[in-house]
Amino acid sequence: MASTQTLLSPAELAYLHSSLSLTPPIRPDGRSSTQFRPLVAETGILPGTNGSARICFADGTEAIVGVKAEVERTKSALTTTEDETVHRLEGEFVEGLAGAGGNSAGNIDEEDNDGLEGQNEWVELSVEIPGYRDDDSGTVFLSALLTEALLADGNLTKKLRINTRFHWKLYLDILLISPPLSYPLPLLSLTTHLALLSTRLPRLKSEGDEDPFFDDDWAAAPYLYPRENGTSGKATLRPPISLLVMAVGNNIIFDPAKEELAVADVALAVSIGDGKDNNSNAMDTDTRNLRLLSVRTIDPPSRLTPPGVPNATNTAYGAAAGTTAQKQPEARAAESEAVEGVWKPPRGGAKPLVMAALVQKVLEKGGVTDEVLDALDAVELE
Amino acid sequence: MADRRRINGPAGATLPPVYLNEDAQPSDDSKISRTRAANAIRKLYLKTGVTPSASGSAYLEIEAPGGGAVSGLKLSCTVHGPRSLPRSTPFSPHIILSTHVKYAPFATKQRHGYLRDPMERDLGTHLEAALRGAIIADRWPKSGVDVIISIIEGDQDRQTSKSQELGSWETMNALAGCITVASAALADAGIDCVDTIAGGVAALVKDAGDNNSPRIVIDPIPLEHEKILSACCVAYLPTRDEVTNLWFKGDLPASDMELYTQLVETGIQAAKSANLVLVECLHETMG
Amino acid sequence: MPITIIAPKPARHHFHDSHQTAGSDDESDTSSQQGASLDQEGDIQMLISQSSRPKHSHSQSSQNYNIVTPGEVITSDPQWMRGHGTYMTPQTHNIISSVAGTISRTNKLLSVRPLRARYTPEVGDLVVGRIVEVQAKRWRVDVGGTQLAGLPLSAINLPGGILRKRTETDELQIRTFFAEGDLLVAEVQSLFGDGGASLHTRSLKYGKLRNGVFVAVSGMGGGGGVVRSRRQVWTMEGANNGGLIDIVLGVNGYVWISKHVETAAVVEDNKDNNNKPSVGITNMEEVVSATMYSSQNDKIEVDTMREIARLRGVITALVENGLRVDEDMVVKGYHEAVEMALASEGGPDDVYLGGERGEQLANALTGV
Repeated sequence: MASTQTLLSPAELAYLHSSLSLTPPIRPDGRSSTQFRPLVAETGILPGTNGSARICFADGTEAIVGVKAEVERTKSALTTTEDETVHRLEGEFVEGLAGAGGNSAGNIDEEDNDGLEGQNEWVELSVEIPGYRDDDSGTVFLSALLTEALLADGNLTKKLRINTRFHWKLYLDILLISPPLSYPLPLLSLTTHLALLSTRLPRLKSEGDEDPFFDDDWAAAPYLYPRENGTSGKATLRPPISLLVMAVGNNIIFDPAKEELAVADVALAVSIGDGKDNNSNAMDTDTRNLRLLSVRTIDPPSRLTPPGVPNATNTAYGAAAGTTAQKQPEARAAESEAVEGVWKPPRGGAKPLVMAALVQKVLEKGGVTDEVLDALDAVELE
Repeated sequence: MADRRRINGPAGATLPPVYLNEDAQPSDDSKISRTRAANAIRKLYLKTGVTPSASGSAYLEIEAPGGGAVSGLKLSCTVHGPRSLPRSTPFSPHIILSTHVKYAPFATKQRHGYLRDPMERDLGTHLEAALRGAIIADRWPKSGVDVIISIIEGDQDRQTSKSQELGSWETMNALAGCITVASAALADAGIDCVDTIAGGVAALVKDAGDNNSPRIVIDPIPLEHEKILSACCVAYLPTRDEVTNLWFKGDLPASDMELYTQLVETGIQAAKSANLVLVECLHETMG
Repeated sequence: MPITIIAPKPARHHFHDSHQTAGSDDESDTSSQQGASLDQEGDIQMLISQSSRPKHSHSQSSQNYNIVTPGEVITSDPQWMRGHGTYMTPQTHNIISSVAGTISRTNKLLSVRPLRARYTPEVGDLVVGRIVEVQAKRWRVDVGGTQLAGLPLSAINLPGGILRKRTETDELQIRTFFAEGDLLVAEVQSLFGDGGASLHTRSLKYGKLRNGVFVAVSGMGGGGGVVRSRRQVWTMEGANNGGLIDIVLGVNGYVWISKHVETAAVVEDNKDNNNKPSVGITNMEEVVSATMYSSQNDKIEVDTMREIARLRGVITALVENGLRVDEDMVVKGYHEAVEMALASEGGPDDVYLGGERGEQLANALTGV
């Protein structure tokens, strides 16, 4: 199940749905439709990592992300050196066989592109949510979503290349401290964003293709996402963020809480990158260059909620108990038409226009995404 | 002391020599180019009721393009249910849907293990989201249904070894096929659905050679194009004009909303085309 | 501003700040600083002399002596009897605490109430619960306790007005009364030995909850929460044409805020009951019990919904800031919140009380 199931009564669901469909919507916690839950954020909390961050909500939900980097030999079937470890060779052996069947053109291609492209397997992301198995489909879905967003524009893997023979392998470990009280996507994504912003890799001292050799001075280590002027200021390129946005009636609601998601008509996870366009002027930092990296439908739990029973067909309503038989035809009729004040789980999907409107709202210039990125900018980096 | 009962291999690992194949010059590897129109899907074959022991089943095959450089997509779907839930499960007012997508070990160039890997689980989640919108779940309280899809042939290029990058795009094609075949199998099993549901893929591609500006094509095959910039897979209910699952990935400038909308529209077109086959197939089975 | 990101606060040094006047009476101290969820009967004031306390305890413990920790000897005087939260070792007469909490005394019975624990039911408690399981002749209800509470079919008012015996038909239709997920308000009728409780709804005050929102305030920590008080249920007038709003503070920390429904008015509104005779004193019970198992909401005005959201915000803010939740605090907090909204740039319609606003509210309340 993609999103956590919540048990709510039909009367609650009907109330929530009608209050969220109002214009403007009245959210149970009084937020406006684009308002996020207030959060406490800090970075650089784990001295043993290359970068780390922590975010917690007022309700006690808390996420910690640690980024670790290791130097790894770049896989390439044709360049073998003598000091390969046995393990390395095994990997190569398989690769060699695979390549032998066809040809090695792919590898040649890759060498042409040296210094440009990274490989997706250089980034390893794991999500741990207490109370869920790590092969639970929901957890897998979350980590696939976050990985997808990180790798979409290839900016991150590009930075991990050291030379033709070595690269950094980046491990992102995302940890939720307690079982989530709401769908944890925005929390995990924002924490990952901050952790990556605070990530530093040791300064490379060696040159060219020789074995990498690094500066011991941690203070001199450059940020993975470099800043405008050395160590302070805004990052010029930023890691992506994924936002959860849902629609109820005609309203578009950001960062829904658990109860709100339970009545969603449709919920989307939209990942946005903030990167420079290759064609445009890279130094133009005044305006953000938002890029759409990924969109995924989140299966809203609303479809699994129990339906309410209209009074007209409720056998326990009034003194009608015992007249069950003649009530049955009415029950059939009531299935198709909606009764005011009675919860009915949504059926079918969402109109393409609604989905487009959701994405449009996220991407709006000077809109929510911009403000979220501004707020994240303001978080002090250790 | 070494084991003397067995003949052991050499202590250190060795690497078999790999020779450059004379025939396999880069020229040979030049991409096969797309021969279909930009708005045409590949031919597909769909048949329901292929597995007698299951409540419902379907088989889908998509033709292999370009002289065997790419294998086609072959999917087999079985539906088990509706059936009663085990006693231990709590009461559910709805049918409980579970989806399994599994690549056969031999489906792609790289062998898949028997355990489902994260990518397969992810596909399963997408499929579940797509199907859940289509079935009328409250018609079958206290019951469960399992949708099991095996991907027999995985629509992957056989020649190049540059599979890492490309593989991720191919999962979208696989997902679209999964959605279509699962819909046929659900209909075959007689489970109430609001509509037939079909999957479609559209991509923004850049072609090799000429300095074409990126264009949007239906049912993309990664090998046919120089680079795929972004792609989306849509699960679409044609008569209701609704989308139950949308999966977009790639890199699009946010300012160009038009391009995104167009891409999704094209994905819907692809789903509509697949739906024609689906409806035709269901008619045939019944008739 | 759609998002507020707050820098983490340095850890608070509770004891040094709050116990400046330590050693003296700490009754008022507790209620203002810690939310006083702990005491109703009043903590016992140092009923055991200092000398009986273990000598090795920290120098500070003489200042916050009302807190004992597991393993701490409370007394060795044989005149006391041990109660909950304590244990005795054989041979000695030492009563030792088994939980961290405050000592309380009932006659000669010594017990320790844990500082923060799940709800332990007591007979007569008014609770809000959620059905999690339906069995053949009873429901299992989540009341936030260690065990699920049970609600037997025989302990509800069956529809049909008069109190009648339950039939097999009722058993078969058990889900039409309460189904999984339904919220209800009930009273604890009896307790089992294992800490489980049996509930009943045999009163017109009790039954299924509609027309409102739910908020759980237990398990949040910080010492706040719902306390047992004289009135757990009350109706108040919402500001800005909010109409009448009912609040049910379950002793278990589950809270229900809903639109107040005049039972007679419901009947008149209801089209189904048009052909019925008008409500008299005699059939009042019948009519009221009619809506007892309904899951259909009445029409609720926008203003009412907004005020309900505001009240929910007040309760959440109270809990997040470690204040107690009872009628007095909620009403005061609500009026404060209305004032705050008037002063804010969002105007009276702004019901947001998260983050800094919640703190502001709490400060305003504790400052009084």
